[in-house]
Amino acid sequence: MATTVAASGNHVTEAEHHELGFIRTYIFSTDHKMIAKQFLVASLAFLLLGGLLAAVVRWQLGFPGQAIPLIGGLFSETTAPGGIILPEFYNSLVTMHGTFMIFFAIMPLMLGVWGNYLIPLQIGAPDMAFPRLNTFSFWVSIPAGLIMLAGFLAVGGHAGAGWTSYAPLSADPEFSGVYMGQILWLVSLTILGFSSLTGAVNYITTIINMRAPGMTWFRIPLPTWALFVTSWLVLLAIPILTGALIMLLFDQTIGTGFFAPATDGEPLLWQHIFWYFGHPEVYILILPGMGLVSEIIANRSRKPVFGYHSMVVALISIAFLGWIVWGHHMFQSGMNPMLGTSFMISTIIIAVPSAIKVFNWMGTLWRGDLHFDVPMLHSLAFVSMFIIGGLSGIFMASAPVDIPLHDTYFIVAHLHYVLFGGSLFAIFAGITYWFPKMFGRMFGAKLGKAHFWLTFFAYNLVFFPMHSMGLRGHIRRIYDPSQYTFLQSMQPLNTFISLAAFFLIAAQLIFAFNFFWSMFRGEKAAQNPWNSNTLEWALAPTPPPHGNFLVTPQIYRGPYEYSSPESTDDFLPQHLPPDRVQRPPVPREPGFLPTGD
Amino acid sequence: MTTETQTHEEHHDPPYMLIFLVLLVMTLAEVGYAFLPLPKFWLALGLCVMAIWKAVLVALYYMHLRSEPRRLWILVAAPMPLVVILIAAVITEF
Amino acid sequence: MSSHTPAIQENMMVHDSTFEPGIQVYNMKLGMWVFLLSEVMFFTSLIGTYIILRFAHPDHFAVPGEVLNVPLTAFNTFFLICSSMTMVKAFAAIQKGDQKGLKLWLLATIVIGACFVGIQAIEYAALTHEGFVPMAAKYHALGRTGVEGGAVLGGPLYGATFYTMTGFHGAHVSIGVICLTFVLIRAMRGHYTHSDHRGVELIGLYWHFVDLVWIILFTIVYLI
Repeated sequence: MATTVAASGNHVTEAEHHELGFIRTYIFSTDHKMIAKQFLVASLAFLLLGGLLAAVVRWQLGFPGQAIPLIGGLFSETTAPGGIILPEFYNSLVTMHGTFMIFFAIMPLMLGVWGNYLIPLQIGAPDMAFPRLNTFSFWVSIPAGLIMLAGFLAVGGHAGAGWTSYAPLSADPEFSGVYMGQILWLVSLTILGFSSLTGAVNYITTIINMRAPGMTWFRIPLPTWALFVTSWLVLLAIPILTGALIMLLFDQTIGTGFFAPATDGEPLLWQHIFWYFGHPEVYILILPGMGLVSEIIANRSRKPVFGYHSMVVALISIAFLGWIVWGHHMFQSGMNPMLGTSFMISTIIIAVPSAIKVFNWMGTLWRGDLHFDVPMLHSLAFVSMFIIGGLSGIFMASAPVDIPLHDTYFIVAHLHYVLFGGSLFAIFAGITYWFPKMFGRMFGAKLGKAHFWLTFFAYNLVFFPMHSMGLRGHIRRIYDPSQYTFLQSMQPLNTFISLAAFFLIAAQLIFAFNFFWSMFRGEKAAQNPWNSNTLEWALAPTPPPHGNFLVTPQIYRGPYEYSSPESTDDFLPQHLPPDRVQRPPVPREPGFLPTGD
Repeated sequence: MTTETQTHEEHHDPPYMLIFLVLLVMTLAEVGYAFLPLPKFWLALGLCVMAIWKAVLVALYYMHLRSEPRRLWILVAAPMPLVVILIAAVITEF
Repeated sequence: MSSHTPAIQENMMVHDSTFEPGIQVYNMKLGMWVFLLSEVMFFTSLIGTYIILRFAHPDHFAVPGEVLNVPLTAFNTFFLICSSMTMVKAFAAIQKGDQKGLKLWLLATIVIGACFVGIQAIEYAALTHEGFVPMAAKYHALGRTGVEGGAVLGGPLYGATFYTMTGFHGAHVSIGVICLTFVLIRAMRGHYTHSDHRGVELIGLYWHFVDLVWIILFTIVYLI
């Protein structure tokens, strides 16, 4: 499996290309770049599925009780007879939309794709510390995904207790009507945990131990820093989820009574353990995006990241503080009010490092030489949408304010502003930015911009009104809002949002088309089309071979020397030796030379 | 290979048998202590202290943390508060 | 017989100049420690649940020795500590290049580890025979003392938490025994030398960790 040959004792590596055959190259590859692409294909497929599930949800909300047009006949009697969605199926749709988006789309995109692709390249390593473990990490996620899909075929329907699967609803088929579906949900996520966990072990070890000479901690590009911090969250939070899932599985199958009041079990215990995982989880979903966006904004502004060190400290602070805020998901649960107050305080505090990052992005842009390429557009959308999502978070951090807002559409608005407006735009930014390095061709800019603007516009039409709906009392996860007199006035708004949502989902077809078209017909990319300082662009070929670098790089400076006074170029790659830097001529003062000027 | 970390110093084996004996004695002490007629609080506290002591001995000597670089100690110790936070916070519910 | 890329092979040496100084232990050892941290969190969720439920419903749980067999498990604890000692002896042996010692001490560890699981299985059989089971329904029907005049069983949460915690620990021990067997087979093929015996060190770390968890578990579950 070794595809690089190193002469020990010196810094030279030769990237030899062995003939590996189709299976070892494309199926069971140990090359981090190929594994990243495998994650990309799988997670984009699940992203599409998550979007389609949302479309069906929005149909029911926008047109309650009406038959789904065109494809209504495809649904079974137990889900949507005659195309009319049943309440139980609606619950499953909502649950599965969240589950697939969080666990099978965003997490693998952030960690499986960017973690795998960028980490070795950005630190100057030939591959991950444990390449075969990496292969395992991808391939174990596939049965997990298939099991989750199988739940749709289960008798009694798929899990329908929300992606948060609160007990005792999720623990007892008598309450939910779901048995096998819930079990499959639990088993699937338990298996998926191994994928995330092995990934985290790999990333942490690689970043600590395999940085190229000169790549000190504060010369690491921000995407890798963010992925490093995120990997620690994954490492420590996922096992908590695994424990909770196992106990819930036992409640369902063996008949233990951990979370069931009838046996003196504690429903609040589920909530506490789940959210002890769940809050670090949401930072897992956003932090890598912040790293990607920092990189792209600096590059496309041709300016150093404003406050690079404070960006790193902010990442670490968010990760630390993220462990002690989980109760803000539970203000309405009946938990100890003193405990609730402490969570309120810690949640308000965690806004500070996030705000520092926002100001630093703005500081990076300020007076920059801005290039509004597609990745930059997505990155700017990330910052602005994250501001909105973060601001709504401040409201909810206050327990008295959260109590009427909890489980309303205000929360749905908040979470979609940070997960779609935040994470997904960051993912689009990353894909459009690193596409040339991954596939050797430029991502189509015209279609890219069209996709961006349509998405940005439609997305805000869908989610912004939800803030107001929540304030007016529109509860989330309900099947038919028109049943409630106090919600009937919002039905036209629900319909409008649904139509905007259909448009939003349809607009993604442009991205899908562009993605494949550019992969095969796009303009061939130069090695460093963005004139970036980081190793994956400035040093590694496009696309990089096995082993990444023909020679182990030596690093001389940080990653954000853009528009540096030391160089005539507006960028200064990390690996360029000082004597190879094109310096501007030294200005002469009058009378400097004896000849006089 | 841990021998590499000690190339510049005398290579002494940690006192494995001594630690083994200490662990045995402490296990017996724990079992004895558990049945003393003390208030529940002191029983629990004493037993926890003894258990953690044994665990630390295993970590330091059998898992060689004692001879590992300081950075590894910090890496291993850093997540330990998370164990306490979950349990302590949720106990306040009851 | 390394199938690692040479760059990674190089990182096996601590004083390796190919990479920036990291944590100054080789990759696989760092990886194992990092993995063990995740295992700490896993057991935290299970043992934490036990502690929390015990605070919530003390009447479900029993005083030490009332339900569980403390002497038998104390012996089992001693046994597991012995296996940690034999494991570290195996490591010390190969550090000096003693192949025979490595194999013997590894074998001892495997045997003792397997016995630990066996004794735990016997314990489980005895407990379930008395009616101490994880299923909550059995308790509700029977009440805290099981059959009238019979042994104290505690409440439904006791069985559930007990079997979950000790069961997963036992599963980890079993996996450890299997991995130790692989290591022994490799040792018999002469795979380990006094200069490269990382596999022995790695399985040793895992094994000691499993012992460490038991030390905590035994105290919290059987003695408090």
